[in-house]
Amino acid sequence: MRERKTRVPHPRGVLVFAARVGRDVSLAATIAAALVVAAQSLAQTDSTWDAGESTLSYHMSHPMHEVDGTSRAAKGKGICHAGQCDFLIAVPVKTFDSGDTNRDLHMIEATRGAQFPIIQLRARFPQAEVSAPRIHADLEVQFAGQTAHYSQVALQRTQQGNAVRITGTIPLTCSDFNIDRPSFLTVPIKNEIPIRVDMIWHSN
Amino acid sequence: MRQTKFDYQAGLLGLSLLIPICALPQSSAPAQPSPPQTAPATPQTPSAQQPELPNAPAPVQQPAPSSSPQQPSLSDLGFTPQQTQADPKLQARLNKRTEMLKIHQRLGLITLAPMAATLITGPMAKAKGHDGQTIREPSNANLDFHAALGGTTAALYFTTAYFAIFAPKIPDNPKHGAIRFHEALAFVHGPGMVLTPILGAMAFQQEQNGEKVHGIASLHGPVAIATVCAYGASIVAVSWPIHLKFWEKQ
Repeated sequence: MRERKTRVPHPRGVLVFAARVGRDVSLAATIAAALVVAAQSLAQTDSTWDAGESTLSYHMSHPMHEVDGTSRAAKGKGICHAGQCDFLIAVPVKTFDSGDTNRDLHMIEATRGAQFPIIQLRARFPQAEVSAPRIHADLEVQFAGQTAHYSQVALQRTQQGNAVRITGTIPLTCSDFNIDRPSFLTVPIKNEIPIRVDMIWHSN
Repeated sequence: MRQTKFDYQAGLLGLSLLIPICALPQSSAPAQPSPPQTAPATPQTPSAQQPELPNAPAPVQQPAPSSSPQQPSLSDLGFTPQQTQADPKLQARLNKRTEMLKIHQRLGLITLAPMAATLITGPMAKAKGHDGQTIREPSNANLDFHAALGGTTAALYFTTAYFAIFAPKIPDNPKHGAIRFHEALAFVHGPGMVLTPILGAMAFQQEQNGEKVHGIASLHGPVAIATVCAYGASIVAVSWPIHLKFWEKQ
């Protein structure tokens, strides 16, 4: 006959029970903490984004002219990793069209666009904002051989089906990039040349 | 009893599974539940949200994001080497082109002054009087002044044209926009600027011979007016569209 083991009450039963409960609670807490971390990292898993239809426009202001130059040749890629999103947008300078060839060539000359043919824009923001209606990004813009930083630039985010539309204005100025302001009738253009960004992003 | 302990541990495990699920909405996506109106447009917003976002960057001006393998690079975007490569020769051509066109612009505006003056002094250099009446010859001073202004205009005009014609051309750059009208009008005022002094000289010769200005020479005035109009339109075309707002602070 199989001997049945019976539980022998321990003399310090209450204390042992408390110790066991304590051990179990600490085990549970460890598991919980591990799961919280796992869940957080799951929520912020690596994701990559590619730019689809994109429009970048600069606005130039002169007492006699209001000019917008638009490029649809921008390309972009974004990587979200470890709670941080890094996006790169690049556009060739010569693809901006203001409706006048002469002005566009002058713009390329003034911005040293043949020497530095690509405008690079790097955006960094917390991954938690990737689903927020408003993203506040730290931007680094490489343009005309110079680099300028713009912190906490507000960008609007709109969900469009599977894609995300990002719009916003980057407050570029000529002086940020050591650009000699072109003049017309001896009057130079305004220092501000804000860049309007309108991009469609697809998540991979 | 043993089974009870397992149940207890399983219960704890289940509880531990519930904790992160409950905790998730608070920790990972603070912006989603809040309506857009709650997010102020000012850049100060992120600093207000900072405590909730452990990975959020500092609101102060941040140095350049350092390059790391996690950051996308220019090569990821699929630009061709031709698109990304610097072209110092093209930059030099563009610089020279801009320099020459700036001179073209300045001289073109300067030319407008003697051109307008020549047009205004034209009637003063013309013989007056109808058939059967005494013809009043213009004074030599008027004639000389008009001719000198015309000569200055022509010299400035062709110098201006030189800087446009010989400015370096940029290949693979089809022209569009206002510059096309500007250049098209050159085919009107260019021949006009050649014809006007020739017709003027012919008209002067006929007057000197005591003849009434006749034939093609009688077109000196109309050709001059058409030339000035085309020239003015050419300046307006290259400046179009014009938004006058000089009163606004620069």
